[in-house]
Amino acid sequence: MADVTAETAATRQVSFASLRPSREAVVGTLAVLAFLVLWQVAPSMGWVNGRFTSRPTEVFFAAIDVFMKDDFLFHARISLTEFVAGFALAIVVSIPLGVLLGTSKIARYLIDPPLMALYIAPTLVLLPIMVIWLGIDMAPKIAVVFLGAVFPIVLNTMAGMSEADPRFLRMARSFGATKLDIFMRVLVPGSLPALLTGIRLAVGRAVLGVIVGELFVSQAGIGYQINLYGSAMRIDRLLVYVLIVSAFGYTLTILVRSVENKIRDWRSK
Amino acid sequence: MAQIEIRDLGIDYRKPKSNEVFSAVDKVELSIEKGEFVTIVGSSGCGKSTLLMAVAGLVNLSRGSIKIDGKEVTGPGPDRAVVFQEASLLPWRSVRGNVKFGLEMQRWSGGDLNERAMQMIRLVGLGRFSDYHPHQLSGGMRQRVNIARALAVDPEVLLMDEPFGALDAQTREIMGTELLRIWERHKKTALFVTHDIDEAIFLADKIVVMGRNPGHIKEVIKVDLPRPRDEAILDSDDFHNLRKRLRAHLAEDMSSMQLVKEVA
Amino acid sequence: MIAELFYRRQALILGTLSMIGLLVFWQIAVDAGLINPFFISTPSQVWTEFLAQFEDGQVAANLGATLYCFVWSMGLATVVGIVLGMLAGWFRDVESALEPFIWFKYSAPTVAFYPLFIAWLGYGTPTIIAIAFLFALTPIYANTLSGIKNIDRDLAKAARSFGAKPLDIFLQVALPGSVPVMMAGLRLGVGRALTGVVVAELFGANAGLGYAITYYGQLMQTTKMMVSIVIVILLGVILTQILSFLESKTDSWRVDSGR
Repeated sequence: MADVTAETAATRQVSFASLRPSREAVVGTLAVLAFLVLWQVAPSMGWVNGRFTSRPTEVFFAAIDVFMKDDFLFHARISLTEFVAGFALAIVVSIPLGVLLGTSKIARYLIDPPLMALYIAPTLVLLPIMVIWLGIDMAPKIAVVFLGAVFPIVLNTMAGMSEADPRFLRMARSFGATKLDIFMRVLVPGSLPALLTGIRLAVGRAVLGVIVGELFVSQAGIGYQINLYGSAMRIDRLLVYVLIVSAFGYTLTILVRSVENKIRDWRSK
Repeated sequence: MAQIEIRDLGIDYRKPKSNEVFSAVDKVELSIEKGEFVTIVGSSGCGKSTLLMAVAGLVNLSRGSIKIDGKEVTGPGPDRAVVFQEASLLPWRSVRGNVKFGLEMQRWSGGDLNERAMQMIRLVGLGRFSDYHPHQLSGGMRQRVNIARALAVDPEVLLMDEPFGALDAQTREIMGTELLRIWERHKKTALFVTHDIDEAIFLADKIVVMGRNPGHIKEVIKVDLPRPRDEAILDSDDFHNLRKRLRAHLAEDMSSMQLVKEVA
Repeated sequence: MIAELFYRRQALILGTLSMIGLLVFWQIAVDAGLINPFFISTPSQVWTEFLAQFEDGQVAANLGATLYCFVWSMGLATVVGIVLGMLAGWFRDVESALEPFIWFKYSAPTVAFYPLFIAWLGYGTPTIIAIAFLFALTPIYANTLSGIKNIDRDLAKAARSFGAKPLDIFLQVALPGSVPVMMAGLRLGVGRALTGVVVAELFGANAGLGYAITYYGQLMQTTKMMVSIVIVILLGVILTQILSFLESKTDSWRVDSGR
């Protein structure tokens, strides 16, 4: 079951340690600059249709527009509410569930298959049904955020609980630890890294849930704006909103990563 | 009566795939007096660790009995503490937190846990490092914490399963001397499993030599070298003789050992 | 004997039991009036509807459309992901140059670019394939990168000591050694590609499982929706299982390093 936790290797640590620019940073920056230049120049050269791609400068000015005049905060608040509500609900449900299920081998064998199936399945596919159940307001979006986040957290927490180092358990037993002792003092703290991995995976899916949900049906929110500007072919504004979402997801992931790294320090042998 | 009495001990295992039953140890008889430092030595598969685990109460007996101070061993208890080869220090706890772990598990009522822990930490020479976390410590230091944790619960018997096996040779030597220094303080009854002949002789009042197929005691050798001991003793004639005897025992076992990993 | 059999196949038996149990629970809950069938239908109704849709070719048509897009997007993602991953894994500069873009792609919800793709490629198959391709690309690229980058240093050193040149090391050490991690990436990619296809179909398609779900969703016909939803879930499980199986085949020669 460790394969659930061994997701992608986008596991690069952001290091602010050395202020002297590393080769990686230089190459990366150059690549981005080259891209920006290309992007800016391509429409004028006739390589691409500017209406479809916009340009960095247009996006920049559109950004100013958006922040000053576009009711940006209003939409952001709505999307953020949906995200936080769904995610918080997911955490409240999945952590206890994961912890309890992880301890019983039988429970794990029983619950694992349906959980895995639902984890792999695109839960976003349930959007239309959620709309039928919950209407077109915030609720279906909160629901898909919840569904997106709950499975990785439960599965990873379960894995963390069940993959406790048997030597720790043996050591605890040798001191006469009761089952409850082992549960509270060894298993639960020991499953923290896996739990964080689950949360990190959940963040991406949750963000996806809000945006796709809003693209599908909404009357307000970041996704709503994206849809609006997409239909109106205002690519510059659309990109601004996309960048906002991207920045949000990026920040959250970095936050979880940094906590994960601190914890990983403890584990390094 | 001796403190530890092992009578006609037999421990069987069932091989998971083939369902065969084989004896890890059989017909083991041993008596250990209070305050003795006993080392158990033998080649791989002779059941020495199994024997230790049985005394610790972590393994079920198939035959025979183990009694400590007259009471039969049925499981782990506050009268015994184990020092395993892997320190198994909880990574999220500091050195002090780890040493307190055993005290917490046993609901220690003999005073302040922190003070007791610090006492032990100082005893093993890690006074400055009480707030460090395991990942900041070397292998040798971690084993010291391991020992401190075991001593903290004030056991009657200290059980050690190749505690220095994962350390490099130099650290191992240092730790051996350190262990004796710490042991001299309280002279707890100690059972120490190792496959290192020199270590077995250096530490012991009594050496139990075990053989394989099935695990059994080949010989029990008394070690009369004076205490306290230092490295100089390694060059003494008595030491050499003991070494020769043990080498002979182990050579017997080597010839019957397989070198290819058995495909279970 | 039975007890032995049970012990060996514990996982499989309990897993199957729980699936069946869920179905039974579902049916009972609706029959007993605990849940309104309008919201979720019942297993029996869904089954009947499935047969009906199967008969009139809907299942085949939708499944076919979805699989078509899936195969294309997965194929493209595999090729591009593995090639880029290998280049980035072997040449540090390539990795550094690609990294900001990968990060962006990772954080930005690909589906947000949907209107963009519609504008560029129009409604229908090309857009769906494009979105699913991007979805699946991330894990495949990332895992291939990791596999090539994190080759066993000791093996590489040993090879070098025998006079192996960089290309040799790449072909003989890095490539074979990265296969397990790559396979894991493909397994993850499969789930993502399917997600990408179906989600894209939710928005703008005229065939496919996602399309069927939205279509019947607008008509509030839950049972018909559930048929497609169940098929999607089963498809995801089956495809991932196939990949898992392949993955385990490539894992067998792995030596357990340490303990």
